Formats: sequence, structure tokens, C-alpha cells
Amino acid sequence: MPGPLPRTKSNDWWNRRWAYRLVLLRELSAFAVAGYLVLLLLLVASVREGESAFADHLDVLKNPLLWIVHAVLLGLVQFHTSTWFRLVPKAMPLKLGGWRVPGELLIAGVNGAWLAVSVIVLVIFLVAA
Amino acid sequence: MTTEAMTATQTVTLEVFRYHPDTDTEPSYQSYEVPYREEWVVLDALNWLKDEVDGTLSYRWSCRMGVCGSCGMMVNGYPRLTCNAFLREFMPGPIRVEPLRGFPVERDMVTVLDDFMEKLTDVKPWIIREEEQPIEEGEYRQSPSQLADFKQFSMCINCMLCYAACPVYEHEDEFIGPAALALAQRYNLDSRDEGNAQRQELIWSDEGIWDCTFIGECSTVCPKHVDPAAAIQQAKVEATNSFFISLLPFTPPGMGR
Repeated sequence: MPGPLPRTKSNDWWNRRWAYRLVLLRELSAFAVAGYLVLLLLLVASVREGESAFADHLDVLKNPLLWIVHAVLLGLVQFHTSTWFRLVPKAMPLKLGGWRVPGELLIAGVNGAWLAVSVIVLVIFLVAA
Repeated sequence: MTTEAMTATQTVTLEVFRYHPDTDTEPSYQSYEVPYREEWVVLDALNWLKDEVDGTLSYRWSCRMGVCGSCGMMVNGYPRLTCNAFLREFMPGPIRVEPLRGFPVERDMVTVLDDFMEKLTDVKPWIIREEEQPIEEGEYRQSPSQLADFKQFSMCINCMLCYAACPVYEHEDEFIGPAALALAQRYNLDSRDEGNAQRQELIWSDEGIWDCTFIGECSTVCPKHVDPAAAIQQAKVEATNSFFISLLPFTPPGMGR
């Protein structure tokens, strides 16, 4: 008698549904965050080496290939951030007094804060330039 | 032919997972033509099959109204309560019916749930008191707001859809899984309960909340909107806070566990 069928494990789980594929993309997009960090550290390192090294680095950054790399990284980092922002109400529900802040409002709040910080950074950048 | 007569003769193909523990070494799929009725759910079609065509077909069901949590199966690869899955959602078919993923199969769509039953007991899903107050002092009172803190997590009907949707449960034998962790959180959040410390060692372990990678499908498939993913992430936040607070040389007021 063979008895009960043992439970099965399959490694194609991530390809079963879009929900799973997006989760995998969310996890993999963390590499984009790390990748951008490396580019940023290289920039900081060139500043440390002096003015000419920094100027050389800026020249390298003008390479169209690096523009594309930056655009792709920006897209992936945006995706990464927004997926986690969408999960904020699940992980950190907010109760103000007796009022439960609706999830959508929390999501809007963190996205709003993100937008505000981005605008401030952009203004500082434009003023400095 | 009238519309009514046409509906009566219209059929849909059900591809049903078959496995008999006495005779089969491998599962197989058997196709059946079942009458299509707009108001029929997949469970109605299975019941018709069992009554009219093949009495050996095995599956669990009871209330047929989304309360008992017995009739969970994979319908076209997605965990559903079959009493809650209308044939019309899957027309023109075929509709593939399989046992819930991630569990051993006893026979056909009947899964072995022993693993969950043990894990459920392990999280002590009942109210724990350090000291029971004497009966003369009356019941443990709770405000509507205190009830609202955990009510959502108490709606679980143990239908196992969240386990079938969880790739972590599929791959990690030790993982306690969504429903049991949500129920642990349900008692931890209950103002009458004092069992947090007793549940902590297991809940805050790798097999507990930290195996969860927040895929979130457990919450999507839940027919009772329990949101186990939320329960688990909130427990993670608590565990993290508690860890950092334990590193402090003093206990901040109101932060002691």
C-alpha cells in the first residue's frame, strides 16, 4: 500500500502567478539599491581624491551607457520603494487616539513624505547648481 | 431551443486530481463533463459528480456557505473555498480541481493536516492568565476598542488556503505558517491574555515570524480577510522593538514587556 502522497515542493513557485513574480522582482530590485550605492560611493571616493579626479569621474558619468544604467537603477529603486510603501499599513498600522488611520491614507502619507523630500533635494540641487 | 433548455444542456469539463492510497503510486487527472448552471459553485459540481457519476471521488466539505473552512482546494491552480468559487468565473473551462498545495494527500482532494494541527497547538491559541481571577470578580471585561485590536485576526476558519498560497510553507518544513501565526498574534493582542512571554520563544524564532518573507499571498487568498501577512509583520516589528529595547541599560517607561 503506497499510503498518502508526500507533499511536493517545486522551485517554479515564483512563476505561477503575477503576484509571485512581482514579489521576486521586489526582492531582486534590492540589488539595484545596492548597485546605486556602489556608484554613489565611487563618486564620493573621487571627491576624496581631489578636484581633478572628481572632474574625471564627472566625465565618465557623461557616458550614455551610464545614463541608461542610472535610469534603469532609478526605475528599479522607485519600484522597490513603492512596493514597500504599499505594505506599510500591514506592518505598521497607526492608531491616533482611538482613530485607526486608514491604510490608503498611510500609503499616501509615506508617498507624500517621499515626494516632499525629493522636491527639497531637487531644490537644493538646483540652487547649488 | 429555449434559453433555459440550452443552459440545462450546457456542460463544463472538470479535470479532477485523483489519487488512491491503496492502489496508486502516482496521482492522475480524470476529466468529467458536468452540467453548467450559472448558480453552481465548484463544490456543487463535485457533489453532482459524486452522486451521479463516481461515488469514489473523495473531498471534504460541510457547510457550503464559507463558514466551516472544509472545502478548500486548488481551483485552476489557485487556493479557493470551492463553495465560494462559481463555475461561471471559470467558463468556458476546463476547470482543474486539485488538493491544496503544500500538504500530503490522503486521497483525491483530501489532504493530511496533522502538521498544521501540531503547529497550531504549539502557538497556544487560547487565553493564558498568570493567575485566574476569582469567579466572584466577574468576567474579564474588554472595551470595543480592545476587541477591535485583534478581532480581524480571530476570524480564521482554518481553511488552509493561506498555507496553500505560501511558498515558504511549501519549502520550509518547520515554518509555522500564516494562520497559526495570525492566531498567536490574535491572543497576544487580546487585552485579557497574559501569555505573550510563553508564545514568544516559538513565535519570534526562525520557524516563526522570521521565516516569512512577506510575499503576502496568504492575505490575498484569505476568504475571511484575516490578513495573516499583517499579523506576522506586526509581530516582527514588536520583536525588533523588543530586541533594541533590551539593549538599553534601562527600560523606557511603558516599554517593559
